[in-house]
Amino acid sequence: MAGIGFEIRRILKRDSFLNLFEAYGLAGIISSGPWVLSVLGVMLIGIISFSLRVSDTQIVQFLVSVTYLMAVSLTLSGLFQHVFTRWVADRLYAKRSDLILPNLMGLIWLTTLLSLGLGLVAMVLFFDGTSVLYRLLMLANFVVLCNLWPVTIFLSSMKSYRRIVVVFALGYATAVVGAILLSEFGLEGLLTGLLLGHSLLFFSFFYTIIRQYPGDYFIRFDFTRRRQIFPALILTGLLFNAAVWADKFIFWFHPDTSQPIIASLRASVIYDLPIFLAYLSIIPGMAVFLVRMETDFAEAYERFYNAVREGDTLERINRFRDQMVIVARNGIYEIFKVQGLTVIVIFLWSEEILAAIGISPLYLPLFHIDLVAVSIQLLLLAIQNVLFYLDARGINVTLCALFFFGNILFTFISIELGASFYGYGFAAATLLAALTGLWLLSRKFDKLEYETFMLQGR
Amino acid sequence: MMLTKQPGAPKADIALLLEGTYPFIRGGVSSWVHQVITGLPEYTFALIFLGGDPKHYGKQQYTLPDNVTHLECHYLMDIQAVGKPRPRRGNKAAFETQRCLHAQFKASADVPPDILHKVFADLGQKEGISRDDFLYSEESWEMIDENYRKYCTEPSFVDYFWSVRIMHSPLFQLAEVARKMPPVRMLHSISTGYAGLLGAIASEQRGIPLALSEHGIYTKERKIDLSQADWIHDPTDLVSGTLNEQLGYIRRLWIRFFEALGRLAYQQADPIVSLYQGNKARQLQDGAPEDRTCIIPNGIDPARFDAARQARPETIPRVLGLVGRVVPIKDIKTFIRAMRSVSEVIPDVEGWIVGPEDEDEAYVRECKELVASLDLTERVKFLGFQNVNDILPNLGLMVLTSISEALPLVILEAHAAGLPCLATDVGACRELLEGGSDEDRALGVSGVVVPIADPEATAREAVRLLSNPDQWRKAQQAGLERVQRFYTLDSMFTAYRSIYQKGLNN
Repeated sequence: MAGIGFEIRRILKRDSFLNLFEAYGLAGIISSGPWVLSVLGVMLIGIISFSLRVSDTQIVQFLVSVTYLMAVSLTLSGLFQHVFTRWVADRLYAKRSDLILPNLMGLIWLTTLLSLGLGLVAMVLFFDGTSVLYRLLMLANFVVLCNLWPVTIFLSSMKSYRRIVVVFALGYATAVVGAILLSEFGLEGLLTGLLLGHSLLFFSFFYTIIRQYPGDYFIRFDFTRRRQIFPALILTGLLFNAAVWADKFIFWFHPDTSQPIIASLRASVIYDLPIFLAYLSIIPGMAVFLVRMETDFAEAYERFYNAVREGDTLERINRFRDQMVIVARNGIYEIFKVQGLTVIVIFLWSEEILAAIGISPLYLPLFHIDLVAVSIQLLLLAIQNVLFYLDARGINVTLCALFFFGNILFTFISIELGASFYGYGFAAATLLAALTGLWLLSRKFDKLEYETFMLQGR
Repeated sequence: MMLTKQPGAPKADIALLLEGTYPFIRGGVSSWVHQVITGLPEYTFALIFLGGDPKHYGKQQYTLPDNVTHLECHYLMDIQAVGKPRPRRGNKAAFETQRCLHAQFKASADVPPDILHKVFADLGQKEGISRDDFLYSEESWEMIDENYRKYCTEPSFVDYFWSVRIMHSPLFQLAEVARKMPPVRMLHSISTGYAGLLGAIASEQRGIPLALSEHGIYTKERKIDLSQADWIHDPTDLVSGTLNEQLGYIRRLWIRFFEALGRLAYQQADPIVSLYQGNKARQLQDGAPEDRTCIIPNGIDPARFDAARQARPETIPRVLGLVGRVVPIKDIKTFIRAMRSVSEVIPDVEGWIVGPEDEDEAYVRECKELVASLDLTERVKFLGFQNVNDILPNLGLMVLTSISEALPLVILEAHAAGLPCLATDVGACRELLEGGSDEDRALGVSGVVVPIADPEATAREAVRLLSNPDQWRKAQQAGLERVQRFYTLDSMFTAYRSIYQKGLNN
């Protein structure tokens, strides 16, 4: 996914503070992607709606419905996230970019069918007592979201980054404006607004991709061939997203911490708001992460593997390995610093922030631990990304499994321990996975030459 | 193939270890092997054939004599599907032994028997160094890493890495071949190289004698192949100083590898047989212990040429014959150029080039053009492949202008047919024409030796012999005597019979 790397490097070369700001801003938007931005968008819709004619119940129902849409669609498309990204990278390496578009089309078809099927079943089973329109809108939103995520894989490969920024702005403006205009229709109106916004995003990005990639076929399913894919990556994507949502689901369905909101959907008001708010805090760290990964680390990585492939001396191969380690370490430090600073600043102002949004100060301790937890999750993401570069698929599956099962276990324990420990389960799980990740990454780097040469073709 | 009648019962007296020759490829070595097997019917033979790529070997070229009781073929380039790479530690002690072994190779010293025993016992075994250990273990990586840093003078690590891998992987297959080989009482390898190593392993592990016969010198031939091989990339380094440095490190690595294989075979074999003095000297230089070397030349059956000798006319025919394939190594052009000078002195002289012309068509064309341009079309004739017995009576002199030969049977055949020879100073030619031992030398010269690629000397000596019937007849007599005394099939069989007897009695 070199596109964005080149752009950022180009911007950074101009070497002024404004350009630095531009580069990190761009990186922030692209890396955080629709996920963090939709949290923002959805909250915005929620907040604005408070001042409109929509009843509080309906706003809560809207927020909870959207949260479920996000959780399930992200987990579902997690199935393809890494495996497809890797497949695309391999095809680009093999200079078969003509295969990418037809296969993206194939992936979208597959996702559409899968999400439509699952969505229909869910609509029938879990949504008794809601309007047909609500159900249809939920279904439509679900399908669109499931399709939006795979398309965002391509964001960082796009050269026209200004277009991305504009599309994001337009998409969320449409969602917010649409929701407000349709707010007189209540819950259904808000969902329609969101559907319009996300559809605009999806189709615009898809259009851009179609313009950018050549293709002689309409649709192909090469990415489902066993010989071209790595099953471990399917598991990684699924487990990571499931892990991110595991504690939330537990809180939603644990009788002590949740209440029914709409049909079978339950929510945990005490738990949800702080954590979604906390997710917004990772935007700066995400930006640093993308810039470091796509520029310095990608370069160091290329240097190392070129040295390996093109017959350099072992001394130089070792040296490039060491440089790669340093760059990875610096990148992680830098994310740590920027994210740490962000967390401290938000800590200082957290009371004011919660007050401004109208959340009770009772949530403060939970908000604090959530801030720490999502920051560690970001570190985990960075570590996993380095591991993806090094093709350590096994380690990544292990980490995701650790994160997933750790989150389930620790969350249950935290619920047992009582309200003041809420959030600590999730934090402990991220910490466990991140520390294990650091240890395994360092071991991986130690044996990198051995594994690169002796175990090739593994 | 037949099953052994009882466990442990020898399947054959002697296992012949054959690398890329009999019974799949025709040629000098293969016909020699066939002669030995048929000439010693009292022994049974098991054939262990080692080839490179199975695609290079067609169907069997020889009908196996009845005393061959077993044939097995192994292809060293036939990379079997190896399991998926998995990380493993590797056996520290076994790799330590390997370090000792390689240190001995580097010092060109003999390997102490206890180390050799452990190396062979470890090779390809789970408890030692299995193929997977070699390919995937950390110990193996450490050794590659270490040796590259210490010795490799070429920049590309990846080339070094793959050379080491490709070089060593047939060894694991050889170890398995050695273990699974049917029980025999003695081993006889027809070259060093992989076959020689197989012999060394099997002989060391089973405690049975190993005889080694070398026709060419394997290590030297490999050296020539390797210095020309274009699958090895040399670094384009224009500032290299010595000649040794000009030959890239990877090439030298390969050469040293085959030298080491040769050394292991020499260390284990008794006797180490060569065809003539020159090759024996080469063996000694490559590390063969002198007390175990001996010379057993190839032989012919002189009686087969009695008719040709009796068909010889009274006068010496003014015809120079060159019997051999029309290929550059035979240096036909020197023969043609020499014919030019000879025809200046003896105008009615003729030059016959007798041999197949299908191997190197470009070279054949060049030769024919040279004949035309020297205005020799009347004098020099290309006869193609002919029955040598029909040709020999009509020749006045057998000429060999080759730039490389081992022990050319043509000279023996010519001598048996009463024909003196003129040959270049390569291989065994001087021994064949002037005598090897003192006793042999006392017979007198049976021809003339000239330097390679020297048409003038060739012409001068040819004219001298042809125009001096006394000298010619003396040479004829000496040649006939020499062949009958030292170069008969029977004397060769007797020599090998005694080697086998000695080996089997132990």
